[in-house]
Amino acid sequence: MVQDLLHSSPGLANFAIFFLLGVVLLLVVLGFVTYGILAERKVMGYMQLRHGPNQLGGNWGLLQTVADVLKLLLKEDIIPKLADRPLFILAPVIAFAPSFMVLATIPFTDKFQFADIGVGLLYYIAVSGLTTFGALLGGWGSNNKYALLGGARAAAQMISYEIPLVMSVLGVILLSGSLNLNDIVHAQKGGWFILLQPIGFIVFFIASVAELNRTPFDLPEAESELVAGFHVEYSGFRFAFFMLAEYVYLFAMSALITVVFLGGWLPPFAFLGFIPGAVWFSLKFCVVIFVYLWLRSTLPRFRVDRLMEFGWKVLLPVALGNIFLTALIKSLFF
Amino acid sequence: MTFSGEFLAFMGLALVAIIGGVLLLNLTRVVHMVVALIFTFVAIAGIYVLLSAEFVAAVQILIYSGAITIIMLFGIMLTRHNDESESKAGKWRKFLLFLGILGFAIAVYLGIYNFNIDQVPTTLHENNTMQIGQALYSKHIIPFELVSVLLLVALVGSIVLAKKEDKEADKE
Repeated sequence: MVQDLLHSSPGLANFAIFFLLGVVLLLVVLGFVTYGILAERKVMGYMQLRHGPNQLGGNWGLLQTVADVLKLLLKEDIIPKLADRPLFILAPVIAFAPSFMVLATIPFTDKFQFADIGVGLLYYIAVSGLTTFGALLGGWGSNNKYALLGGARAAAQMISYEIPLVMSVLGVILLSGSLNLNDIVHAQKGGWFILLQPIGFIVFFIASVAELNRTPFDLPEAESELVAGFHVEYSGFRFAFFMLAEYVYLFAMSALITVVFLGGWLPPFAFLGFIPGAVWFSLKFCVVIFVYLWLRSTLPRFRVDRLMEFGWKVLLPVALGNIFLTALIKSLFF
Repeated sequence: MTFSGEFLAFMGLALVAIIGGVLLLNLTRVVHMVVALIFTFVAIAGIYVLLSAEFVAAVQILIYSGAITIIMLFGIMLTRHNDESESKAGKWRKFLLFLGILGFAIAVYLGIYNFNIDQVPTTLHENNTMQIGQALYSKHIIPFELVSVLLLVALVGSIVLAKKEDKEADKE
């Protein structure tokens, strides 16, 4: 359906359809972010032997995030006097826009996908790299040394961990022979890539935690060292935009891992095929999200120099070895 | 000329690319210039997508996003805070520059306006990632390998340089 729309001549009707589709996806993502944050707080709470939010919206705190967002939106919008005004205003926008753009290529089910482009996987990794500018610009524009340190850390971390991230999916690309996310899902009919590419999956997962700036790799916003990192001067809805970008990336990265390593919408066994693809997708997606929350509440933060050493001296060689091994296996057995 | 969505998208992207380029030259602060550069590069990537060169577009963003970040960090670290560059050109120089640019624009316009490109039906837009790969590893294998050796030499060279400074610093 989207294919036909893309090739039709422009008009107000088409514009309205695209706009509506975009708004619907945005609302779905906002809904996810609202309850993703709640789930994070609840899971962390139970893992640390406490209850988490349980006051607002029943015992499960179902309205807690809504209230938090409302508080953020009603707050006074403060721009520091000595801040670089245009950059300070632009930074949250640059941080958020790519996070929503990457969702366009992800195939949620075999029919529900916005753009089926040939280099979907590469597109995701390329566009998600743009968010670092938001962090760096925000850090520089705030005119605050903690913010600048956080921004510089974000840049260093993005460059060091993007390389193992790309290298670790090369194994999957070798086996499926395509960069298209649909083709990658179809290539997993015989077996998920998490089984064929266990080393690649582990490297990808670690690098993705670093790309998402989550604990144990949340150095750009390490609150015990840098107050709050690159968004220390932000408040109100500008801060909300940074948080939103972070959680939309969590959504996108979990969806990408589901698609690339866990077989997307495909059922695990053929006889379970009567259950619709959307259900399988969301189940796998929830498992991935849960693992991210689990990691966050169990692991302490890395030290800066260890982080760089780990990225360059461990993850990169392991990812390169994985490519070599995959090429060997493919030429011998496939 | 048909007024299609492609045309609209091209006009938008081209405008962003050109405005980004002009701002890059006219802004006074280093970091602002880098932001203008980001907009230009992303808009050019968008134009590649319009030309069905998806792979080139993705690689453009992937490589330049890393490269521009480094430029920006250097801009922050190696220039003075709030340093503003001022133009020192006189009136005559500006006028001559304007004449030069005008002449160049007229020359390019005359050159391009009646320039006829024969339209040859190609299959370059289908599976272009695969086609690029096949061309690289069959027709252009030797230049490709030479470039990778060159990059390796640059990489090793920079590590050697960095190590050397470290040792001298230790001695002192």
